[in-house]
Amino acid sequence: MSGMSCDEAVRQFFAYLDQAMSGTPLQEFEQHLERCLDCCDKLQFSRRVDALVRTRVGDAPLPAGVEDRIRRRLAAAAGDPED
Amino acid sequence: MAEVTGPLFEALTLPHLSALYRLALRMVGDPSAAEDLVQETYLRALRSFATLRDPARAKAWLFQILSRLVIDRHRSSRREVPLPEDEELERFSLYQRIADEDPFPYSDDVHGDFLAEFRDDDVRRALLAIPEIYRVPLVLVYVEEMSYRELADVLGCPVGTVMSRLFRGRKALERELWDCARRLGFVKEWPR
Repeated sequence: MSGMSCDEAVRQFFAYLDQAMSGTPLQEFEQHLERCLDCCDKLQFSRRVDALVRTRVGDAPLPAGVEDRIRRRLAAAAGDPED
Repeated sequence: MAEVTGPLFEALTLPHLSALYRLALRMVGDPSAAEDLVQETYLRALRSFATLRDPARAKAWLFQILSRLVIDRHRSSRREVPLPEDEELERFSLYQRIADEDPFPYSDDVHGDFLAEFRDDDVRRALLAIPEIYRVPLVLVYVEEMSYRELADVLGCPVGTVMSRLFRGRKALERELWDCARRLGFVKEWPR
């Protein structure tokens, strides 16, 4: 069978999920998916792993006091007489 | 010079403080270490402020300094994170391991149920367990939604290298999630 193999398709999963594919490689990858349910299932799982990680690592509010401490360090480093 | 540089530097860089802290926390894990890393990033940025030619690039420039600090610290700390050989790592498939192990025999969605077992801290620890050289681009993608071209700019490497690091990074992350599942006891890997 011509076209992309499953091994080659798997190597493209993340570039596809990150929307970093275009042109012929994207076309060949999507053609492979159209005829390979196994790769479709694996790709869907990779998408779910990505979503899991994104939702668990995205939020991290800046703690109180960090900005003030950094401003003071910067002022000291820049030789600000106020510091 | 300080009187001129200080306010301009702060006006260009401090709006990105929250984003830098978020990145630092996901890259090093500990809030205190993250704050130290952000402080070091700002001090280095201040010292090399003259090299920032395009103010519109201030955010990418700060990310670049922070990312290189993380990677350089790993190189100088001699801390070795054991990883399987590249070929073994690249062939690792969490999807296949779950299918082979079938940890939830009565489930209609064994892969989804497997992922649902992880708590926030499990996922964060898994991310922290992979080597910095792979973790840094992954965090930039997951937290900042950076494009591969932006990543190449921040990391100072070709797009092909970015792709390769992200591929191995994701495989390393899958492997860490599998190891975490074994530690938590919801997969056992019975001898076959």
